[in-house]
This record gives sequence, structure tokens and C-alpha cells, in this order.
Amino acid sequence: MIIVTLYRIVRFAWQGFWRNFWLSVATVSIIVLASLTVNTLLALNVVADSAVKSLQQKIDISIYFDPGADEATVLEVQDYLAKLSQVASVRYISPAVALQELRLRHSDDAMILQALEDLGENPLGATLIVTAHQPEDYPEIAKILDRSPYKGLVTEENFSTHRATIDEIIAIASRVNRTGLAISLFFVVIAILIAFNTIRVTIYTHREEIAIMKLVGASNAIITAPFVVEGVLYALIASVITAVVTLIGINGIQPQLQNFFTGTPLNLAQYFTENFFTIFGLQLVGITLLNVVASTIAIRRYLKV
Amino acid sequence: MINFRGVSKIFYPERTIALANVTFDVAPGEFVSIVGKSGTGKTTLVKILTAETRATEGQVTVGGWDITRIRHREIPYLRRQIGVVFQDFKLLPKKTVLENVAFALQVIGARPSRIRRIVPEVLKIVGLEDKLDRFPIHLSGGEQQRVAIARALAHGPKILVADEPTGNLDAMTSQEIIALLLKINQIGTTVLLVSHDQSLVNHIRRRVIVLDDGKIVSDQAVGRYRLE
Ligand SMILES: Nc1ncnc2c1ncn2[C@@H]1O[C@H](COP(=O)(O)OP(=O)(O)OP(=O)(O)O)[C@@H](O)[C@H]1O
Ligand SMILES: [Mg+2]
Repeated sequence: MIIVTLYRIVRFAWQGFWRNFWLSVATVSIIVLASLTVNTLLALNVVADSAVKSLQQKIDISIYFDPGADEATVLEVQDYLAKLSQVASVRYISPAVALQELRLRHSDDAMILQALEDLGENPLGATLIVTAHQPEDYPEIAKILDRSPYKGLVTEENFSTHRATIDEIIAIASRVNRTGLAISLFFVVIAILIAFNTIRVTIYTHREEIAIMKLVGASNAIITAPFVVEGVLYALIASVITAVVTLIGINGIQPQLQNFFTGTPLNLAQYFTENFFTIFGLQLVGITLLNVVASTIAIRRYLKV
Repeated sequence: MINFRGVSKIFYPERTIALANVTFDVAPGEFVSIVGKSGTGKTTLVKILTAETRATEGQVTVGGWDITRIRHREIPYLRRQIGVVFQDFKLLPKKTVLENVAFALQVIGARPSRIRRIVPEVLKIVGLEDKLDRFPIHLSGGEQQRVAIARALAHGPKILVADEPTGNLDAMTSQEIIALLLKINQIGTTVLLVSHDQSLVNHIRRRVIVLDDGKIVSDQAVGRYRLE
């Protein structure tokens, strides 16, 4: 008996879907458009994030040591810094390597090469290049170094010159995130309102049927169920279309986007594939809930009599 | 079968008194006509019976069941014991005669075998056994009302309530519908007919309750209805 009832509910829902075909198409389209907007903004966020990350990876601070500081002490400092939780890596550049790099950088500047030649001995000290996990960590690292006993060995660190850039990047990153979230929310709210209204119209077109069902003694649960199932049907179709269009679109624009990010890999498609179930699963659940709640609320006024 | 005890219905905020202290009993198997001018509370009485609205005062029982303060989720069970027919037939235009009647059974969870058995049966009672596959627009008004009556009978109600069932029909067709209601009454269903058609009711020669301004002004076993 339960199977018969279920079958009838699903069939009523199915008929409802096809009899109001264009209305169903409109409902599904609106939901798909809203979901696509959300996904586009999500993609933008991913792009912005990886842009910020690639910039962040390029940030490091160099600590220049006194040419007199001996290698063992510098290596001790390297060890000390590497143990800090904020620090991702510390690279040691010996005075000899530093000189070689300097020569290489200015290989077509005869004057500098000549000056170095005239100097006779290596004027450069050792350098430690520190990379932090987060750009926010640099000030802290600089402070720790400043308070450490090694302070006297340091002739210069270029943290302060990087500071402005670092702050800028942090600010941009959080602005991108916040704007994306705000726009997403805006579209989600609009989508909810439109979907809600479309479902109300759908139920309105069935008002005679509902009235007759009430008249002959159908229970409210049985009257509501087909509309809820119809809502789930909308949600399923909309979610599948959204997933397909999103994945096709992302894979389509990935190569073009990659051109902007020469050097650093942009894993947009990978992001959506890896988080497939989280992103599209959540969307499916969200849309389904929206439709179920909307149907249940919209039908209430017809159930009163 | 039906008992109204001092039933009043007041519509707020206008304080319209639709029914005022109405008391009557209908025994099982009776055929009762309820008549009165427009706006005297006939439809209100029907709506109280089907729990579409509640009495402001008084007590209503149907088949011994006190429905005065019926719970929302019990209403469907009440309605399965009362078949209702209206002036506008309330058929689904996109369903055939057969589907319209079957629909009423499907939505209350009837077994397919029962639906296959009952639908042709009730359509035979109303004389439409040869028009099962027609859509409502391809039926005359009288035929449409017959479909509505068949649908009301489908779940085997003890009571059939008809609120102005002939309001949209010509005199000849109205007579046929009344004849059908009498036939249904003969099979054992209690029938409550609401009408303001004087000659129609007078021809029935059964009990007539006359309402005026929400009050019962006459209740006669074999009544005649006079409009003053
Ligand atoms: N929902 C409502 N709200 C307010 N007043 C109402 C409502 N329903 C009915 N009334 C009033 O109650 C009175 C009785 O109405 P009712 O529909 O019962 O009359 P009736 O006898 O069926 O009339 P008719 O023969 O025209 O169908 C009328 O004055 C009507 O205006
Ligand atoms: Mg009326």
C-alpha cells in the first residue's frame, strides 16, 4: 500500500512537472542561473586566492649578515629561525654564492664588475632568506629576530621595505574574499525569492486540484507530498545542469586564465574536481531544502479549508 | 445521523449572523431539503457540516461523532463520510470522467483493485457508464453534475450533501438530478439538498427545513416551501 501511495505521489509530481512544462523550465533555469553565479564567484575567489598565494610565495625577507660573522654562527641563526612556528623555510646563502649571484646579476655592467675586481676581497656577508607560512607572520619574525642575541650580527633586513607590499596583498586578498561573499549572498537571496515565487505560482496553478483533494478527504501530507517531490525534482535537475555547466565552463576558461598566471599553476579545474562532492553536494542539499521549504510554506494557505 | 444543537455562526468583524440557534436532527436514510432565500445561511450550514468552518456556538455531531471542535488532522476522516456536490461542479478539466472519479479515491490511498471496482460502479449509478473517457468540456451541465455526484459517492459516504446542485441547470435537467439524488437516497445514503428553487423542492415531497435570516422558521416532514 505504501508503495502504491509512493508511486502515486511520484506520478503526480512527474505530471505536475510536465503539465506545467514552461513553468518548470523557468523554475529550473532561475535556480541554475543563481547557482552558476555562486559558482562563478567561487571560481573568482579561487583565482584570486591562487593569485595572492603565488604572490605570497614570491615574498621573502633577506637577512644580511656582517661580512665578519662566521659561518657557524649564521648557520646557528638559520637553525634558530627554522624552528619558529611561523617560518616555512630558511635558505642560507654563503658570502661566496652571494658574490657570484651579484656578478651574474650585473654581468653586463662592466663598471660594477670592475669595482668588485678592484676590491679584491669579497665585500658581502652571508644572507639568510626567510619564507613565512603567512604574510601576516613576517612582522612577528622580524620582531623575534630583533629581540634575539643575534641582533648585532645583522647589518640589514629588508622586512620594512617589503612591509607595504605584504600589507597590500593581505588587504587585497581579504577584500576579494569579502566582496565575493557579499555578491554570492546577494544572488542567493534573489534566487531564493524568485524560486519561492515560482513555486508559489506552480502551486497556484494546482489550486483546483488541491481544493478537490481537500473536499474528498485527502490528508494534508498526501496533498503536500507531490509538490515536495516536484521541488526535489527541480533541485535534482538544476543541480545536475549546474554541475555540468560549471565543470565545462571551468575547463574551458582554465587555459586562458593560466596565461595570466605564467609561472604559477592555477588549479581551478582541480579545485572543482577535488571538492566536487562538497560544492555540488552542498548545492543539491541547499536547493532541495529551499524547494521543500518553499513548497511546504506556499501550499499552507490552500490547506486551511 | 446529523445533529445540530443550538448552532450559531457569527462572521467577524462585521458580526454577520449567518446562523442563529439552529437545532435539528437528521435520521439515517432521510432525504432533507434545506431551503431559504439567498444569504440565509444555507451554505454556512453545509460548511459547518464538512468542517470548512466552525460553529461559533452550539454542538454538531455527525454519525455520533462530535465535530464541534474537530481537530485539523481528523477533518479528512470526516470528509470521507460526507460526499459533497456544489453548484459549480468542481471537476478537473484535464482529467476524463473516469480519472476525475478515480482521483478522489487515489488521493485517499485506495487500493488500485478497489478503484477499478468502484469507479465503474458509481458511474453506472449516475448513468454515465458509456462516457468514461470524455473530458468535462465535452459533457452537458447535467452530465458534469452527475460526474461530481459519482465522485462524491466514490468513497461510499453515509451522507451526501448537495449545495444548490441544480443552480446552473435548466428545469428538465434539474429534475433529472433530483431524481438521481432520490435514487441514491433509496440505496441508503442520507441526502441533504440545499436549494432555493421553490417548485423543485415542492415536487420532492419529503422533509423540508426552511431557513430565514439564519433561523429555522419551519421544519415539516412532508414540507412545501413557500417564498413569501
Ligand atoms: N466567510 C464569510 N465571511 C463573512 N461573512 C460571510 C462569510 N460567508 C458567508 N457570510 C455571510 O453569511 C450570510 C450567510 O451566507 P451563506 O453563504 O450561508 O448564504 P446562503 O443561504 O448559502 O445564500 P445563497 O442562497 O445565496 O447561496 C451572508 O450574509 C453572508 O454574507
Ligand atoms: Mg449558498
